[in-house]
Amino acid sequence: MTVDLDKFKKPGKDYYLALGLEGSANKLGVGVIKHNLGQLSSENRAEVLSNVRDTYITPPGEGFLPRDTARHHRNWVVRIIKKSLVDAGIKGTDLDCICFTQGPGMGAPLQSVVIAARTLSQLWKLPLIGVNHCVGHIEMGREITGANNPVVLYVSGGNTQIIAYSRQRYRIFGETLDIAIGNCLDRFARVLKISNDPAPGYNIEQMAKKGKHLVTLPYTVKGMDLSMAGILSYIEVLAKDLFSSNPKKNKNLIDEESGELITPEDLCYSLQESLFSMLVEITERAMAHVQSNQVLIVGGVGSNERLQEMMELMVNERKNGSIHATDERFCIDNGIMIAHAGLLSYRMGQINDLKDTVCTQRFRTDEVFVSWRDD
Amino acid sequence: MNSPIAEYSSPDINKTLTAGDGPHSTNGKTTQISEFVTKAGGEDRDKPTEASDSQLGQLRAKITSLQDNINVFLTQRMKQVKDEGDIERRILDDGVDEDSD
Repeated sequence: MTVDLDKFKKPGKDYYLALGLEGSANKLGVGVIKHNLGQLSSENRAEVLSNVRDTYITPPGEGFLPRDTARHHRNWVVRIIKKSLVDAGIKGTDLDCICFTQGPGMGAPLQSVVIAARTLSQLWKLPLIGVNHCVGHIEMGREITGANNPVVLYVSGGNTQIIAYSRQRYRIFGETLDIAIGNCLDRFARVLKISNDPAPGYNIEQMAKKGKHLVTLPYTVKGMDLSMAGILSYIEVLAKDLFSSNPKKNKNLIDEESGELITPEDLCYSLQESLFSMLVEITERAMAHVQSNQVLIVGGVGSNERLQEMMELMVNERKNGSIHATDERFCIDNGIMIAHAGLLSYRMGQINDLKDTVCTQRFRTDEVFVSWRDD
Repeated sequence: MNSPIAEYSSPDINKTLTAGDGPHSTNGKTTQISEFVTKAGGEDRDKPTEASDSQLGQLRAKITSLQDNINVFLTQRMKQVKDEGDIERRILDDGVDEDSD
């Protein structure tokens, strides 16, 4: 049985247009998506009309503070929305609805973007749809890759979750017990003063490619969950020793086999290998639990090619296994995924009254009722 | 065009805040980039666009001035409440730590 997505179609119009606004962290994204009437399928794909993003970039060694991130979003949002509409070749009043990220994320940036969403909604008299950020990633990943019912690995600066769909919820099978994987990588990048442009994780990935020696790091899988704060502390100490002038302190930083000195590149390589192995382990276990052979990787860290490669090795050893990942346009936070997931809600009649558009920093993936799926 | 105003009320005072006489601009005093970021070597590429000559553009600039006045006022209020709290605690505790004999 499939759900009817066209109960709320407008007479005389055979498509829907939605604007999505994303600003839960340091990226401000605005996108316009088009759905034609009927079920989404391989013959009837959602169409990306525009997908504009601007990232708040901080100096090397610094993270992004809520106040300045929110200021970035406030001061750019109008320009980015204008560009998005121009790219899409439409007017605001052509839209069916305005979708925004309701959470999870950082409070101040979320607040800034929702104000823009409310304003547009009242200006153009359009309904508002609050979208769970994680569900946005999942739905966009499914749409772009065509993966029907995958185990989803959601890895980003603020989230690390293994998710599978069951009875109209995206259920969390495993997750981080402390910090997110992207946060672990970003904070390590700060210790090494690696540039934040275009993203600290991307720069770690490039450095890791030059790493030759694997430094043993703690491996902390706890059942279906994982913990990364301890690994970060451990490697931070190693990294600080690397820059220490005291030669005694450097005794841990010699490769046992070759006797060569450990470099920052080796540390990047070792950190990636350890963290990604943990992810592969719990993803494989989740696949066995739900008897799925598809994996979909979403979230900013999902654009890491080494993670994709390691996951592929595991998936290829499973019967009929397939792996799906998207590139940076859809992996890294963007407005189009919010537009897409929001439009699915809209087509099922799930819209928010103005009073129900308050953002929340805590909004778990499994709180969302997935009315648009019934498999 | 009328100027935007903001009204503040609490048990002890009521106050109406205005945008002031101007000149107004969208580059507010209290909405600048954090000093913390500039000290770390960051540059400000996120300045707001300048206000246009249109009515809405002028309103934007006035609201920025009003926001500045609200921020200054509320910061003072918070500081005042904090100072009063300190006085109260000093009188009640008579400068003596409760746990000491």
